[in-house]
Amino acid sequence: MTRYVIRRFLGMIAVMFTVVTIVFVIVRVAPGDPAAVMLGPDATAADIATLREKLGLDRPLILQYLYFLGQLLRGDLGQSIFLNMPVLSALAERAEPTFFLTLFSILIASAIALPVGILAAYKRGSLFDQVATTLAMLAASIPSFWLGLIFIQVFAVRFSWFPVSGYGGPDASFIVRLSHLILPATTLGIVSSALITRFTRASMLDVLNDDYVRTARSKGMGEFQVVMKHAFKNALIPVLTVIGLTAALLVSGAVVTETVFSLPGVGNLVVSAVLRRDYPVIQGALLVIAALYVLINFVIDMLYLVVDPRVRY
Amino acid sequence: MLRTLRYVGAAVAALTFGSMQPAEAQQRGGAATVATIGEPNTLDPMVSAGDLLGMITQHFYETLYTFDKNWELTPLLAEKLPEVSADGKVYTIPLRQGVTFHNSQPMTAKDVVASLKRWTDLASRGKLVAGNIQAIEAIDDNTVRLTLKEPFAALTALLAFNNSAAVVMPADHMENPIKEVIGTGPYRLKERKADQYIQLVRFDGYKPREGEPNGFGGARKQYLDEIRFVPVPDANTRVEGALAGQFDYADLLPVEAYDRLRGQSKTEPLMLESFGWAMFIMNNKQGMMTKLDLRKAVQAALNAEDMLAAAFGKPEFYSVDGAMYPKSYVWRTEVGTEAYNQGDADKAAALAKKAGYDGSPIRILTSRQYEFHYKMAQVAAEYLKAAGFKVDLQVVDWATLVQRRAEPAVWDIFITHSPFLPEPALIAPLPDTYPGWWASETKNKLLTAFNTEMDQKKRIAIWADIQKLIYEEVPFYKVGDFNALTAKSPRLQGFTASPWPYFWNASLKQ
Repeated sequence: MTRYVIRRFLGMIAVMFTVVTIVFVIVRVAPGDPAAVMLGPDATAADIATLREKLGLDRPLILQYLYFLGQLLRGDLGQSIFLNMPVLSALAERAEPTFFLTLFSILIASAIALPVGILAAYKRGSLFDQVATTLAMLAASIPSFWLGLIFIQVFAVRFSWFPVSGYGGPDASFIVRLSHLILPATTLGIVSSALITRFTRASMLDVLNDDYVRTARSKGMGEFQVVMKHAFKNALIPVLTVIGLTAALLVSGAVVTETVFSLPGVGNLVVSAVLRRDYPVIQGALLVIAALYVLINFVIDMLYLVVDPRVRY
Repeated sequence: MLRTLRYVGAAVAALTFGSMQPAEAQQRGGAATVATIGEPNTLDPMVSAGDLLGMITQHFYETLYTFDKNWELTPLLAEKLPEVSADGKVYTIPLRQGVTFHNSQPMTAKDVVASLKRWTDLASRGKLVAGNIQAIEAIDDNTVRLTLKEPFAALTALLAFNNSAAVVMPADHMENPIKEVIGTGPYRLKERKADQYIQLVRFDGYKPREGEPNGFGGARKQYLDEIRFVPVPDANTRVEGALAGQFDYADLLPVEAYDRLRGQSKTEPLMLESFGWAMFIMNNKQGMMTKLDLRKAVQAALNAEDMLAAAFGKPEFYSVDGAMYPKSYVWRTEVGTEAYNQGDADKAAALAKKAGYDGSPIRILTSRQYEFHYKMAQVAAEYLKAAGFKVDLQVVDWATLVQRRAEPAVWDIFITHSPFLPEPALIAPLPDTYPGWWASETKNKLLTAFNTEMDQKKRIAIWADIQKLIYEEVPFYKVGDFNALTAKSPRLQGFTASPWPYFWNASLKQ
């Protein structure tokens, strides 16, 4: 077990190093120049060259890379070119909306997907199953920006129940800030629930016909107990994997929803950094996202141990 | 750059929306929420010519001069307009007394001199004049003298812009990048949370000019306690936020939203006419477009009206106009515009043949970051194909376009746009150095005459010659003028629509 953890940890470092290197090369090979973006369209070539020198972008790539690695080893992700603050602080500022958006989205997705998936499998072929499967397909097909705009029009504009966008003003309390997440989290939750529903249903179908389920029933156990205690627990491993991966995707991939709702999250930060060619932010944010991705996968693997006693590392 | 200098639009808007001034007395208090198109790259208005930057920073940084409601120059931190020597080389600028910075230090000539020097070092507009400046000096605590090597008629206008701006900062806070935002404006920066909000609060030590408000000039009244600029990059979300009453002002909305915004209780649409103009810049330095007949062939092939219709939809959102200035400007002339909006494939084909066009594709560089550029490019491509040209439409993001257009070997035409500049000498593609590299001898002679002539009537006549030359030499192709749509809450009073909306003088109905 300890060996496994160490192996996974070393693997994490290798993955992150690879990500960092690829990202470093790609952002610099891609056309576009932060100095030109910063100075605006009227800037002369001389202005751009001066700023490039100031930002250290005129140095050979290998030197920039080594300098960047040196910074990383000191735990420094660098300084944002545009935000005039350390990348770590920029990420920290965006951690709260991203964390809660991901959490709420996963909670909403699970709250919809798990019961629907279980019931659809249990009542395989029934009207409920067909409706659930169709709705899941529909939810998977809906673009999140469209659903987000519909929610805004109905719940924010027509009924004024929720704010349209943003994450609260300067004096917004924690609760007010969280209220800004209800519509985006519901949007993401519904869209994400499709995949989880289908996995839950498929996984449940696999186990519901297994011998131990039949045995449990023959022992006279109640249906609820059979389904939830015996079948669902065993069906949980692939479902957990999907939930975990969905959560990891949401950390970085909620960009469209974050844009529609103007949420100052990590995804938004990465997109604006790419558009502005803010190299340190792109590198730092992707490094943190990669770390989270690997970490979530690791946590899922550890959860397997809890869910399935047969799993050994 | 979206809105760098949209003057005519504002002039028309001022006429159109002047009636929005409140009949009842304005109340003090409240925080206005302003939805902007995004987050500015910096809060230093000297280092960038971004419109968004100018719109925000004008509330806390001020310039020596600004523009009144008729887009005439008017003093702001200066006591009055400069006294210019007979030879046009020496500008004596008296400063207003009793002006203090946000850190309570008094503003003196020393601060102004240091700021102007920083401006000539850092700002693209400052650099335009830097080589022509012989000296910037403080005569006494309240007077600055600027001596030029050659007369430059556009100097005072340059000093009045609010982006790439000659703002006045304290002499001991001149870092680059700036560490602390300290200006003299009616509002001061309280907090900035990138991508979330920029919070400005009333500066209690502000000393407004005497008299009444007049455009960007005159008295600046501080009714609002706070102004909050909130970045909302998605245009549809800005529309919804306006409809929901979440924003007191929503900037730059899609023109298609106009009908939805009308007749609403929580918001009302504002249309800024002749907000800007779009242009196709030709590569005059390298490649096929260096041939005049080929540039004329492109000019003959293009149908401006169809391009504008594709880009902006309804005719009320654009104007098919070849003149470089709309009607309300003194610079307006129609000289040369007969070559505009031809859409004549046969003439274009004949000109291409005369130029020895070899069938190579015309490389048009455009970006979907400005969707109207892309739509214009698509229509242009079809008209060029109809005239026998091959077209290679290269669609890239704006940052890539800005980089690529600096390389003359990789493009033939790129698409951009501009607001209407109150001073024609500052139109972007006129200098030799702007990508496109229009380095005609005749142009340089005319531009020099225009820049050194101090008599306005003579300048207007020279400008007509320059416009004529633009149509003769075709360094770029003007597509036409377009309007902009914004929205404001009915409770926002005393607000005058403007290319760079400002919220001093505005109040909230409680």
